[in-house]
Amino acid sequence: MYIELKNINKSYGSFKASDDVSFGIEKGKLFALLGPSGSGKTTILRMIAGLEKPDSGEILIDGKVVNDIPASRRGIGFVFQSYALFRYMTVYDNIAFGLKVKKVKKQEIDARVKELVKLIGLEGFEKRYPSQLSGGQRQRVAFARALAPNPQVLLLDEPFAAIDAKVRQELRSWLKEMIQKLGVTSIFVTHDQDEAIEVADEIIVTNRGRIEQTGTPIDIYQNPATAFTAGFFGVTSELEDYKAFRSFEEVEEYDRAIIRPEFVKITKKDEVQKYKTSAVEGTVERTAFRGNCIEFTVRCNGSILTARRELDEPRVEVGETVDVFIYRIFITHGDEVRLLPNNAIREESVVI
Amino acid sequence: MAKETQSQTVGAKPSPVVKWLLIGLSVLFLFVMLVLPLITVIQEALRKGFAAYREAISDPDAFSALNLTLEATVFAVVINTVFGLFAAWAVTKFRFHGKKLLVTLIDLPVTVSPIIAGLIYVLTFGRQSAIYPFLEEHDLRVVYAVPGIILATVFVTFPFISRELLPVLEAQGTDEEEAAAMMGAKGFTIFRKITLPHIRWALLYGIVLCTARAMGEFGAVSVLSGHLRGQTVTLPLQVEILFGDNKYMPAFAVSSILVILAVVILIVRSIVEYIGKEKK
Repeated sequence: MYIELKNINKSYGSFKASDDVSFGIEKGKLFALLGPSGSGKTTILRMIAGLEKPDSGEILIDGKVVNDIPASRRGIGFVFQSYALFRYMTVYDNIAFGLKVKKVKKQEIDARVKELVKLIGLEGFEKRYPSQLSGGQRQRVAFARALAPNPQVLLLDEPFAAIDAKVRQELRSWLKEMIQKLGVTSIFVTHDQDEAIEVADEIIVTNRGRIEQTGTPIDIYQNPATAFTAGFFGVTSELEDYKAFRSFEEVEEYDRAIIRPEFVKITKKDEVQKYKTSAVEGTVERTAFRGNCIEFTVRCNGSILTARRELDEPRVEVGETVDVFIYRIFITHGDEVRLLPNNAIREESVVI
Repeated sequence: MAKETQSQTVGAKPSPVVKWLLIGLSVLFLFVMLVLPLITVIQEALRKGFAAYREAISDPDAFSALNLTLEATVFAVVINTVFGLFAAWAVTKFRFHGKKLLVTLIDLPVTVSPIIAGLIYVLTFGRQSAIYPFLEEHDLRVVYAVPGIILATVFVTFPFISRELLPVLEAQGTDEEEAAAMMGAKGFTIFRKITLPHIRWALLYGIVLCTARAMGEFGAVSVLSGHLRGQTVTLPLQVEILFGDNKYMPAFAVSSILVILAVVILIVRSIVEYIGKEKK
């Protein structure tokens, strides 16, 4: 483990921002700290950076405890949420600042800055001030500034929050590519699950100051370990009474029954369907065109669910009665989560 | 043109009568209250001809008054610049208990009458004070001496610079400083490279305001001065003394020095404001 947190606690007054947080990060990987606002993800990032001190617990970087090492000597590059570019300095001076402070030779600084400006594709912008750049360009400068002193670790606080949707998409792939190319161990904080899934090698899910789960995006998405994770990823809907849907095992005690659109199949009455006996009827309340699919809001057994159909499938209209089949459900009880597959599928595979 | 159409789209179109009436009233008010007295000052000062005017302002007492005024102003500006920077920095960059109280205290000199400020210093440093024997022993004179006048001027112009800096520093936040500190920059480097460029114009503007106020201070200085002619008399006090002696022409002549200084400051202020806006 290159970065390791051991039993970190941190409180602000009565608010517990970190509650016994422990996790490890391998060298060269890109990690996402993902959680809703107030879940303590930024606090973790700031503690690793040395901008906040944990109340208890140890932070290790490259095998050394860094709790008492000041931020400036931890070998960390930090990209702030608002970028915090020095507004009275040019792009060149912004990137050079960290090296100037370290009293690096002038020619070396010049060479490094030129290299980075080229890397971020902003050649010719060296003399501009941050206010003369677009959001995406500013982010690139912030990235280059953080990388200039060759940090071992790169930390990014909500790196895409201040950028409009279209540029954000572009920057995500750009950032991922850059970090892979440079091989610098990186952690970024985000509250956007899509962003985390798309960009990160691994995700650390935080909630109410605790770590809920750590794993690869696929793993976390498909096998949520806690009730929170199950409800946090994907477009989830909740079933009022899952037992009203057919062919599911009956669980005695449970809190919530959570499904995602890909768990649901809706079929027109006149279409052929595989699990007709296990389907129930529902009414389409709304449809929304999503570009690559059509999203339906269906009322079924007193629950509102979201389902999707391909564009080339026969049209389903608002008010139409359809058959609803559910492949699987996440059942939560307390912090626990269990995946409940539809028995109709299993029975079929047994027969075959 | 663009501006006009914009103002018309907001609510009803204001009638031209109201517009000209308001402008006329404002101009009239400014003329009667400000321009007329200023003209009177210059006119009265030059009533007996330019030679008499020159004689009046080259009077040794007037000259020493000008010197003292400038001396007190320089002290007040320097002390309050340093203090204002510290206070504004402390209030905006750190979290601590009693922050609100500190901000309120900074404003105190504006709300308290200058006479009271003067009296406070007389009581603190005068004969009836507990520290008077100590001051006496070390031959330090505050009351009815130059240090007292400087103290009074500093007190009265206390908030001018910090008040200008507070909103600017507040708006800037601490991100940039934090980023610089992360990269290993030391406190002074951070101040010089990041904070100072940001507050430059606000600071200059504060200094201009502080200078103007310091030169015109009368109340607190009057209490602490003791009116020793040629020693502890500032320009405003000199004007009062001459006026009291029924020497009207010289009184106006000395006043005109203050007026000229004020106009110079106004011009400097406008330039600072203009450049500051351009820079933004």
